[in-house]
Amino acid sequence: MNTSHHDDSARWSGWLAAAQQGDGAAYGRLLAELAPVARRMAVKAWGRTEDVEDVVQDILLTLHNIRHTYDSSRPFLPWFAAIVDHRVKDALRKRRRHQGRETAIDEIPETFLARPANTKTTDAMDLRKAVAKLPPGQRQAVELLKLQEMSLHEASTASGQSVAALKVAMHRAVKTLKGLLGP
Amino acid sequence: MKTEDLIHRLSADLAPVRRLPPPRHRLALWLAVSLPCLAAIALLVGLRPDLAQCLADQRFLIGNAAALLTGIAAAWAALATTVPGFSHKAVLGLPLAPALAWLISAGEGCWRQWQLRGWSDIDSILHQKCLPEIIGTGLIPALALIVLSRRGAGLHPGLTAGLAALAAAATGSAALSLFHGGDTAWVTLTWHVGGAGLISALAALAGPRLFRHPASFPPV
Repeated sequence: MNTSHHDDSARWSGWLAAAQQGDGAAYGRLLAELAPVARRMAVKAWGRTEDVEDVVQDILLTLHNIRHTYDSSRPFLPWFAAIVDHRVKDALRKRRRHQGRETAIDEIPETFLARPANTKTTDAMDLRKAVAKLPPGQRQAVELLKLQEMSLHEASTASGQSVAALKVAMHRAVKTLKGLLGP
Repeated sequence: MKTEDLIHRLSADLAPVRRLPPPRHRLALWLAVSLPCLAAIALLVGLRPDLAQCLADQRFLIGNAAALLTGIAAAWAALATTVPGFSHKAVLGLPLAPALAWLISAGEGCWRQWQLRGWSDIDSILHQKCLPEIIGTGLIPALALIVLSRRGAGLHPGLTAGLAALAAAATGSAALSLFHGGDTAWVTLTWHVGGAGLISALAALAGPRLFRHPASFPPV
């Protein structure tokens, strides 16, 4: 370890020992000097600068919570590095967990809050009229499967059509409805 | 919140804190609480009638000394894990040596018993389950160690809890041998050594519930 690191470590050790006695000024100086060190160490381990400030703040909060565990007869840097290492690993675990649940979206679908924008094409009256125009087989499939919310087997029993025939009729009905209701 | 604001908030009206004593001091405190309790349990239950004979047996002495040393080393290691920057080599290496001696001593006993009587004694494992007695005997040392460890930083709760459980189970096993006789070598290997390993593994899994995460409680 070079002299500069040794000097830093001795100075920080002294400030933390004073902070344990309640010296807020020494503690403020210590945290102000440690924040950039923590930032550098976190960026190195974290691999990006994005969100790194959250990790730095986590490190400082953890240091604050366990400042009573520092023994000033021991070197400061291994104690501090262990806290940084722990908090960075914790943040990496959290990031991996979140990434597993997230889906990257290139383009957010455009939508409007105005009521007409959301109801015009799906207006109940229009939909009912369009369903009425469907061929009888398709209409029956929509009524049983969508309006009455029957399962395929229940609809098959009720209509006398096979499950496969109902699936085909429903698929065609959706296609026809798309055509009738417009883009 | 900006980091500068956080620093200002943390350093304003800073309260003094009681410095955590070094692991060896806390170990001395743990021994001061645990050993008299274990001695009291042994005396209350009653020392085994063949204790004098056992104490003259080198194998008995080696096995139980190894168990006791495993307990003491694991207790120190558990306490050391609550100080950031501890040496992983020391924490894992120190209890490992007596634990291996304990395992080898129990294994040698089984080997000897197998040579003399074959597998005839192995069913003693089913009849003499010492695990509840070990847990009962090690309960006070375990609780004392949890209290002493929780004063430190819970950065490695699984490791701390696993080592604390090993310490309690190993000292419990050593104490048990003073008042609980008739254990075959198979029972010692399975329920004393194996039981300590099992309890440690379960405690390691429960560790995060026993020790608070250092960032999960409000600043002291």
